[in-house]
Amino acid sequence: MSEIETFYDVMRRQGITRRSFMKYCSLTASALGLGPAFVPQIAHAMETKPRTPVIWVHGLECTCCSESFIRSAHPLAKDVVLSMISLDYDDTLMAAAGHAAEAAMMDTIEKYKGQYILAVEGNPPLNEDGMFCISGGKPFVEKLKMAAKDAKAVISWGACASYGCVQAAKPNPTQATPVHKVITDKPIIKVPGCPPIAEVMTGVITYMLTFDRMPELDRQGRPAMFYGQRIHDKCYRRAHFDAGQFVEEWDDEGARKGYCLYKMGCKGPTTYNACSTVRWNEGVSFPIQSGHGCIGCSEDGFWDQGTFYDRVTSLAQFGVEGNADSVGMAAAGVVGTGIAAHAAVSALKSAQAKAQSKPSTEEV
Amino acid sequence: MSARSLLVGPFNRVEGDLEIRLEIEDGHVRAAYANSPLFRGFEPMLQGKPPLDALTLTPRICGICSISQSAAAAQALCSVAGGAPAPEGALAAAILHAVENLCDHITHFNLFFCADFARPAYAARSWHPRATERFTAMKGSAVRACIEARAQLLHIVGLLGGKWPHTLAIQPGGVTRAPTLRDKARMASTLTAFRRYLESTVFGAPLEAFDALETVEALRGWTTGDAGLFLQISDDLGLQRMGPGPERYLSFGAYPLADGRSFGPGVWADGQLEPVDSATIREDLSHAWMLGDAAHPSAGRTVPDEDMADPAYSWCKAPRLAGRTVETGALARQVVDAHPLARAIIAGGSNVEARVIGRLLEIARTQLLLEAWVAQLKPEAVFMQPVDLPRNGTGEGLVEAARGALGHWVRLKDGVIDSYQIIAPTTWNFSPRDANGTPGPVEAALEGAFVPEAEDTPLSVQHIVRSFDPCMVCTVH
Repeated sequence: MSEIETFYDVMRRQGITRRSFMKYCSLTASALGLGPAFVPQIAHAMETKPRTPVIWVHGLECTCCSESFIRSAHPLAKDVVLSMISLDYDDTLMAAAGHAAEAAMMDTIEKYKGQYILAVEGNPPLNEDGMFCISGGKPFVEKLKMAAKDAKAVISWGACASYGCVQAAKPNPTQATPVHKVITDKPIIKVPGCPPIAEVMTGVITYMLTFDRMPELDRQGRPAMFYGQRIHDKCYRRAHFDAGQFVEEWDDEGARKGYCLYKMGCKGPTTYNACSTVRWNEGVSFPIQSGHGCIGCSEDGFWDQGTFYDRVTSLAQFGVEGNADSVGMAAAGVVGTGIAAHAAVSALKSAQAKAQSKPSTEEV
Repeated sequence: MSARSLLVGPFNRVEGDLEIRLEIEDGHVRAAYANSPLFRGFEPMLQGKPPLDALTLTPRICGICSISQSAAAAQALCSVAGGAPAPEGALAAAILHAVENLCDHITHFNLFFCADFARPAYAARSWHPRATERFTAMKGSAVRACIEARAQLLHIVGLLGGKWPHTLAIQPGGVTRAPTLRDKARMASTLTAFRRYLESTVFGAPLEAFDALETVEALRGWTTGDAGLFLQISDDLGLQRMGPGPERYLSFGAYPLADGRSFGPGVWADGQLEPVDSATIREDLSHAWMLGDAAHPSAGRTVPDEDMADPAYSWCKAPRLAGRTVETGALARQVVDAHPLARAIIAGGSNVEARVIGRLLEIARTQLLLEAWVAQLKPEAVFMQPVDLPRNGTGEGLVEAARGALGHWVRLKDGVIDSYQIIAPTTWNFSPRDANGTPGPVEAALEGAFVPEAEDTPLSVQHIVRSFDPCMVCTVH
């Protein structure tokens, strides 16, 4: 272990100042939902612990996860995490090419046996002995198994590695298979989404590098800190859902007013992810904010659930109210009654005022 | 007389996987075979699905040109219905698409292409220290600046499209979000910042000055910014003599707006501009691990040959336009659009340098277009028109992705997708041989490349292959 630098050494070597380092520690603490009291703890861990090496491999995929990752919100967090990863092995971004690159991966595995984290983007296709995805002359599934053998833990980036994603859509021509069905003897953390949000990716990897353990996972193996709530729970259009105000067709009056997209097929009510809180592209927006419903890309099987524009009909929370139309009707009814009652009270007050006032005054 | 065979790959810093087999004789490439070793089968999986699923599934072919796929799918479906998107919606879609293309170009230049100049093999060159400082993979100052500027620019996609990659906003009838005045102001300020990045870093001078270049002499006189550094390196390495193209340039025309396409469509060959006749496209399967006969994409099928039988050597089909290979990409687009500099630099045929310059030229021109479009946006206009898809019909969506001509062909039957075929830009450029044995553009461009005995990862091959900016995940899909 002693030949491996600490995180702090790595950062210093990358020219990151002490001040920036402390800022990074507090950002990390807040991103992970930890209080300021954890800042010194994170700093201490990064100063004393040998950094955790990361090997990042790509299978059947579209590289959208990497693309998302290198665009994370805070340049510092991205620089730090990227520089830590860059020391080891990454297909898409690294400098070396061809056989030198393959050799670099073998070296990393050999040098950090049992200590490194394997980050997998994409998944292995198993049909025809894996011949649909060949990397370095071998089926990707072999590279994956080889890299996983001595890994401490595996991160499944995105819907591809976690669940199969669109290439596993019926009839799944290549038999694209999620990582956990191929690697069964290692702890696996799933970070689904197509792609996952950059801040979620940096958050997960920073947590693992800092605390040297997996974050708390939900029953599907996703980090609870980011996948603990539905998009719907924190959606800024939620008030319109509750009020029964829906977009009925594209670019209608409701769309302009930012009404709820449930009737346009939004899967926010059944999707667990951090889009409505963390948002995308450095916190600018998220799909619902662009006027398009959520497609539920962090849920298993989102690609084969009928059309993306059918409304969700199996909502448990609708058990009480029926469906969106009746929720809307009921809500409108309540509002109507309220207005009537309010109007009645106003009339009464007006009458009282008239009765108490002098005949000469014209109160209304 | 020495002969050997060399397998180059996997290529890193390339979207997806690529392997190239070279037959080398006397230190020069005699023949090259490009293999796309990744197949996912998007076309068969779209069959039987509801038509609008194409809007969500096809962008996921690629994490870097997802908006191009999205735009092609929307256009294909719109053409089935025989409608047209709302003009203002088309403008918003063009902004989304142009931002993605711009991002792809600066990423290619800084992260994928120039990184090779920082290799130790070039240590003796006078420009090497500066190239290393600027372009070393993941560490170079230009690399960092590019990633930062790109993230900022993509705020525009965030605003209009909710997220990037895999934006959902583009629909057959327009876009899902009507931008507000506030969005318009934010986009304008984002573009101002991006212009500052381009002018201070990439060009080292006003964009208009680069756009105004018309001759090779004027280009050679450009010394500022990373563009100047590239020209110095290119001169020294002779990149203008590497990687000749087929001298036929295809562009479907970029950014369809109500009054036409901003970069015009056409085929430039033998000094003539001809209209594109997409009916003359055939996908040849003789050297692809696919079963069936050569066919127009509207009649094409995708049935992988599980035996992977000879003489095939790639999952990639071989598209041909009127039976011939064509080069597609930013250079082709600018040549077809009749930019004087683009026409001037290909006077002796296309080459590695010309492809990079074509991209730089397009970076400058696209920024100018974007600024004008954002200024034109009318928030009160209609951004989406209803498009009623018939249960049966055929459609074609032809757009320009960063890497070139992208086509989607769809056939609906009984309300579901009966057939969906896609030809991506890299399918054209990296196609295998056809039934006549004619190699694809990259395979032909590699013939004659210098490969010293000692090199297992020949630098000339790296430069030539990367000059086409391959996107292998799109190629086979």
